[in-house]
Amino acid sequence: MKHPQLVEHPDTTKRPLRLVSLTLVAGLTLSACGFGGSGSDETGEGGTVTLDLLVPTYSDGTKGLWDDVIAGFEAENEGITVNLEVQSWDNINDVVRTKVQSGQAPDILNIDAFAGFVEDDLLYSADEVLSEETVADFQESFVENASMDGKQYGLPLIASARTMFYNQDLFDEAGIDAPPTTWDELAEAATQISELGGGTYGYGLPLGAEETQAEAGIWFFGGGGGYGDAETLTLDSPENIEASQFVQELATSGATQPDAGATDRTPLIDVFIQGNIGMIVGLPPTIGQIAEKNPDLNYGTAPIATKDGSPVTLGVADHLMAFENDGDKQEAIGAFLDYFYSADVYVPWVDAEGFLPVTQSGSEALADKETIAPFLDLLPAAQFYPSTNPQWSTAQGAMQQLYGQVAQGSDPAEVLGEIQARVDS
Amino acid sequence: MTTTPTDAAARPSPSPDSRPGRQRPGDRPRRPAREVLAALPWIGPSLALIIAIVLFPAGYMAYNSTREISSSGIDRGSVGLANYATIFDIPALPRVLANTVVWVVVVVVLTVVISLALANLLDKQFPGRQLVRLAVIVPWAASVVMTTTVVYYGLQPNYGIINQLLADVGILEVADYGFTRNAVPAFVVSILVAVFVSLPFTTYTLLAGMQSIPGDVVEAARMDGATKARTYFAVILPQLKPALAVAAIINIINVFNSLPILRIMTGSIPGYDADTTTTLIFKLIQSDRRVDLASALSVVNFVIVIAVIALYMRIVKPMKGVDE
Repeated sequence: MKHPQLVEHPDTTKRPLRLVSLTLVAGLTLSACGFGGSGSDETGEGGTVTLDLLVPTYSDGTKGLWDDVIAGFEAENEGITVNLEVQSWDNINDVVRTKVQSGQAPDILNIDAFAGFVEDDLLYSADEVLSEETVADFQESFVENASMDGKQYGLPLIASARTMFYNQDLFDEAGIDAPPTTWDELAEAATQISELGGGTYGYGLPLGAEETQAEAGIWFFGGGGGYGDAETLTLDSPENIEASQFVQELATSGATQPDAGATDRTPLIDVFIQGNIGMIVGLPPTIGQIAEKNPDLNYGTAPIATKDGSPVTLGVADHLMAFENDGDKQEAIGAFLDYFYSADVYVPWVDAEGFLPVTQSGSEALADKETIAPFLDLLPAAQFYPSTNPQWSTAQGAMQQLYGQVAQGSDPAEVLGEIQARVDS
Repeated sequence: MTTTPTDAAARPSPSPDSRPGRQRPGDRPRRPAREVLAALPWIGPSLALIIAIVLFPAGYMAYNSTREISSSGIDRGSVGLANYATIFDIPALPRVLANTVVWVVVVVVLTVVISLALANLLDKQFPGRQLVRLAVIVPWAASVVMTTTVVYYGLQPNYGIINQLLADVGILEVADYGFTRNAVPAFVVSILVAVFVSLPFTTYTLLAGMQSIPGDVVEAARMDGATKARTYFAVILPQLKPALAVAAIINIINVFNSLPILRIMTGSIPGYDADTTTTLIFKLIQSDRRVDLASALSVVNFVIVIAVIALYMRIVKPMKGVDE
C-alpha cells in the first residue's frame, strides 16, 4: 500500500523535520561529549558562593539536623549558600566515585575513610580550611587517626565504640551470675543460653556483609591481633587465625544464631531487642533503639569479653573532608566548618545522632549523659581500623565478601589467606 | 518491549526471490547518498538516541576496562588488558560461570515450558477466561524488586511466614532455616522467583503466536485424521516457532543480565558460591570499588551474551518458517 501524499509532496514536511532531527543529534552528541568534562560550578552571580555538602544518613533525623545547621550558617554568612545532598550508606561510595570521575566532587563530604582521596591529591588539609582553635579542639586520639604522614586531612565528625549488651532475663534463666570477661566464659554462657531452646541464641554473631570488619575486628583485637597499621595490613596473622578458629567453633557448636556468616548487624540487633539473644556487641545508638522499640527489655552493658579478659574495644570515627576542586572556595568551606564545629552547633548535632563527640568541648558538654557514658569510658582502650592505609578499603571489601565463610565451616587460615592475597595484589 | 509478539509471529516467510544466494551483489540497486540523507530526518532521532544511550555508554565502558581507576574515581592511566587478566584470575570464576549457565538454562527452559502450557490453557474457551488471563499478567505489574522482597521476607528465619508455614506443617522442626543464607537453597529460590516474574511476558508472547495460527490449518489436519497430539506437534508447534524464538531470546538476555532477584536473595551470603557474572560485577563495584575491573567483566558479559544468541540462532534457526 502506497502513501501517495508522501510521494507527491516530498518537501512539505521534510525541511523542518530535518532541522529538528539534526538539532537533536547535535544536542545529544554534544551533551554526551560533556560527560566526563570538568563540571566546575556556580561561583559568581554577585559574589555568592555555593558549597556542595554530601552526607550519608545516620538516622531518620540526619537530613533535618543538617538543614538546621545550614539555615543557621546561611543566616550568619551572607553570600554563601550550602547545597545539601543526602545519600544512604549503601549508595554514597558509588555516588562519590561517579562525581569525582566526572569532575563534580562535592566541596565537603561526610564519609568513613579519606585515605583514597588523599592518595589522589583531592583534599585540603585541616590547617588549610580550619581555624587554629577548631583544629586544637579535636581530641588527640582522633587527630592521629585522621592524619597521613603527619598531616591531618580527615576532620573527625563522630565517634562510636562498641560494648557488650546482655539480656539479664536470659542470664537469670540460664543461671549465669555475671557477664563473661574471657572467651571461654563467653562460650560457656552462650551455650547455656542456647540450650534454653525456644528460639533463643546465646551470642549474636553478625558476620554478614553489612559490617563484617567490625565484628571480626572485635575478635581479632580481643585475641591480641588486629588489622595492621598505616604501612602494612596483617590480616592472616596467627592471632587472627586463632581468633577466627574460636569464632568458628562458637558458630558451628550452636552457641550463636544459625548462618552467622550471612547475618547482618542491624536485623540481628533487632532480634536482641526482641529479647531472643543473650549477648551481642552493640553501639551507642543501640541504647536509644531499645528505649524506642522495647523499653521493657531487661538488659545491661559490660566490657567486651577477650581471650585473656583485658578490656578492648573497637573505636570507629567518621570524617568530614574538604575537596580542593578548583581551589576557589577555601574560605567559604573554612567558614562553614568552623561554624559547624563550634560547640553550640556541634554538640546538639552529635547528641541528636546518639554518637560520641570527637571535640574536647563536645566531650565536656556531654560527659554526664547516661546513654553515652558507658562508651566514653571505653575510648582510652579503643583500637581503630588502619583507615589511613590506602589498602584498607580493599581489605574491608574483601572482609565483607569473604570472611563470613569462617562461620560456615571454611578453614579460617585459608579464608584469611585469600583476603590477605587480595590486599597484597 | 520493542518486539511485539504478533509482529514476529505474523511475519511472512521470505519469498524465494529475496533469499540470499540467488542474488548476485551487482543486482542490488545502489542507493544514492542523497536518498540516505533524505531518510535521515526519519531515522536521525532514533539514531541519535541509540548513540547517546547505547553506543556511547558501551564504548565508555570498554574504554574504562583498559584504564586503572582509583577507588575515588580518578583515572590513573592505561593498563592495557591487565584488568582482563585480573578478572580471569579470580579463583571463584569457574563456579560463577557455572552458576550463570545453570541460572540462564534452568530459568529460561522452565519459563518457556510452563508458559507454553499456560498459553494453551488460555487459548481455550472456558468461563472466566478473562479473569484467569488477568491473573497471569499480574506478576508483571508488580516490580521485580517488590516481588522478590516479599518472598525474601517470607523466607526469613524466625519471623518469615513461609518458614513458619513449613514449621507448622512439620517439614521444618523450628522455623529458623536460612533459605536465603545458604548458597544452594537461596539459588533455587531465586530461580523460582525468576520463573514467576518471567511467565507473564512469555505466556502472552506465545498466546499471541497461537492466536495467529489460522483455524483452517488445524481443521484440515483434523479432516486428514490426525490425532490431537499429532496435530499439536506437527501443525501447531511448528507454526509457533517464531513466537517461541522471540520468547526464548528475550528471556535469555533478560535472565542473563538480571541483577535484582539474586542481589536480594543471595546478597548476604559470604563468598561467591551463589553469584552469576552479573552479580559479581555488582560486587566488584560496591564492595571492591573497582570500576575498572567491573567494566572489564561487563565487556566479557556482553561478549558472552552475544555469543549465546549467535549460537542459538545458528543451531535452532528459529526465524525460519515452517514451509522451508
